[in-house]
Amino acid sequence: MIVRGPNQVVRRRPSKSWRRRITPYLFVAPNLIIFITFIIWPAIRGFYISFFDSMDGSNFTYVGTANYKAIFSDPVVATVAKNTATYVLFYMTISTLLSLAFAIFLNEQRFARNFFRAIIFLPVMLSPVVVGLIWNDVLDRKVGPLNTLLEMAGGGSPGWLVEPTLGMIAVIFVGIWVHLGFYTIILLAGLQGIDRSLFEAAAIDGATRWQITTKITLPLLKPTTLIIIILSTIHGFQSFDFIYTLTGGGPLGATTLIVQYIYDRAFQTPIQYGLGSAAGVILFMIIFSFTALNFLIGRKKDAV
Amino acid sequence: MRKRAIKGSTYNWTSISNRRAPSTAKVLRTTTLLVLSFVVLAPVTWFVLSSFKDLTDFSARPPMLFPSRWATENYSEAFAMYDYTRYFLNSLFVTVVATVLTLLINSMAAFAFAKYNFRGRDGLFVLTLAMIMIPLQVILIPMYLVVSSLGLVNTYWGMIIPAAATPTGVFVIRQYMLTIPDELLESARMDGAGEFRIYARIVMPLARPALAVVAIFSILWRWNDFLWPLLIAQEERLYTLPVALALLNGQLVVPYNIVLAMSVMSIVPVLFMFIFMQRQIIQGIAHTGIK
Repeated sequence: MIVRGPNQVVRRRPSKSWRRRITPYLFVAPNLIIFITFIIWPAIRGFYISFFDSMDGSNFTYVGTANYKAIFSDPVVATVAKNTATYVLFYMTISTLLSLAFAIFLNEQRFARNFFRAIIFLPVMLSPVVVGLIWNDVLDRKVGPLNTLLEMAGGGSPGWLVEPTLGMIAVIFVGIWVHLGFYTIILLAGLQGIDRSLFEAAAIDGATRWQITTKITLPLLKPTTLIIIILSTIHGFQSFDFIYTLTGGGPLGATTLIVQYIYDRAFQTPIQYGLGSAAGVILFMIIFSFTALNFLIGRKKDAV
Repeated sequence: MRKRAIKGSTYNWTSISNRRAPSTAKVLRTTTLLVLSFVVLAPVTWFVLSSFKDLTDFSARPPMLFPSRWATENYSEAFAMYDYTRYFLNSLFVTVVATVLTLLINSMAAFAFAKYNFRGRDGLFVLTLAMIMIPLQVILIPMYLVVSSLGLVNTYWGMIIPAAATPTGVFVIRQYMLTIPDELLESARMDGAGEFRIYARIVMPLARPALAVVAIFSILWRWNDFLWPLLIAQEERLYTLPVALALLNGQLVVPYNIVLAMSVMSIVPVLFMFIFMQRQIIQGIAHTGIK
């Protein structure tokens, strides 16, 4: 990028040249001040606090690495870690596979394609809090429509939001339901960037649809798919809001993920700012490594 | 069929080879997409219908699809007995002010990054983008403590300012501003225009498409935002819609059907936005991956 230097143009009046020189800094300042105050400074402070113990945010007791040790030995944290790992793993895998399938379907679809695209995207627009309420209603054990249908089909009435394993399944399903359209749209854009003559040439050479998909489409879609894997992993680790109204982290803490754990450390007794901050530092390291990976891969594509 | 083949649709060969009857693959594909549409639409439809049921219909077993009586009082009570108007106005205020602020400061930074040579420019730009790596969730507690020490808890500004500077907004607007020719700026300078005037009168109007994308996403984020307002709005007078819905839902004294009516009303603005701006939203995501 070539930007003509402003100070090459005007040298006549030194006062104006000085003013020009600080102009860009003034333009950047408001944005930068907010970043420094509300992101960079808290990030540094969070790292610092993670070595302390505090229940009120004003009195801090130095505890060394005790918070980190607690995180790796506390049975409650172990459950949260297990829940988060389970959630992220299933959420990422199923989201990626389904969005790949639906992107390929939508790309081939002629009939009502824009309609289907809009429908699959709809949940992305909805407030996650409302999504949690919607599925809370649908999955209700006694008067929910899903169990009513299941009972009619002779499938009993599973306690979706009452039993730990089923609760986790429900949370994973709803998580995918919310975001699937987002990933599908990105993959669809990737598909539409593929040179069509490749498909045509393969078809002329007598390749079957399956061969074209596995030998041409999927390999060419690999970079975009990788981005989806990384994005869905990051989103998985950040999940909080729809779970809050769907299960509230229950039953019996079975769907409490790391973000809710951090939130609870600040707002539920016992308040433990230090422990929560340490959990935040660990979450940061996880998300950082995946985002860095995304940057390295997406660099050329300007993908953010 | 022939017409489509000529138009050069994605897979011409399928259209040509299956001119007579739809192939099994086609039927399977359309069926799968129909099933998916059902999975998306059925819960939302059920929810909207539920918001018109009275408490008797709610406890009916088996539940009925349509309410036996359309209980529109669920909606009127949301206004009369609960403070829906306040939650709505809070959401509206936070969304509008935050979006205006985001557009202003993001475009100012983008303008500097796109149109000036200055010491530290590339470093500051990388720093801006690096902010993506620190999502709210990981600095939740220290950020809350910082905002609290600034006295911004339980204020509108506490909800608005911290998230107003967005890395993606700066990035999207800067990329667009790079395409605006420098000659335009130079000739304005020749005519004696000041730098702020150039930004406000020349560059901003030309950057409208990028500003529109950032505005749409800012509105969406802010309207649906939950975690941050939940931390900041601890008094009911400041509740935004998502906070109000989540907290009222937990209270047994608030009838469930009222919560449902409020929820339905809260998603209507977003649905309208989606209907009218579907193309921009979908393209915005497809091109930048922002959300």
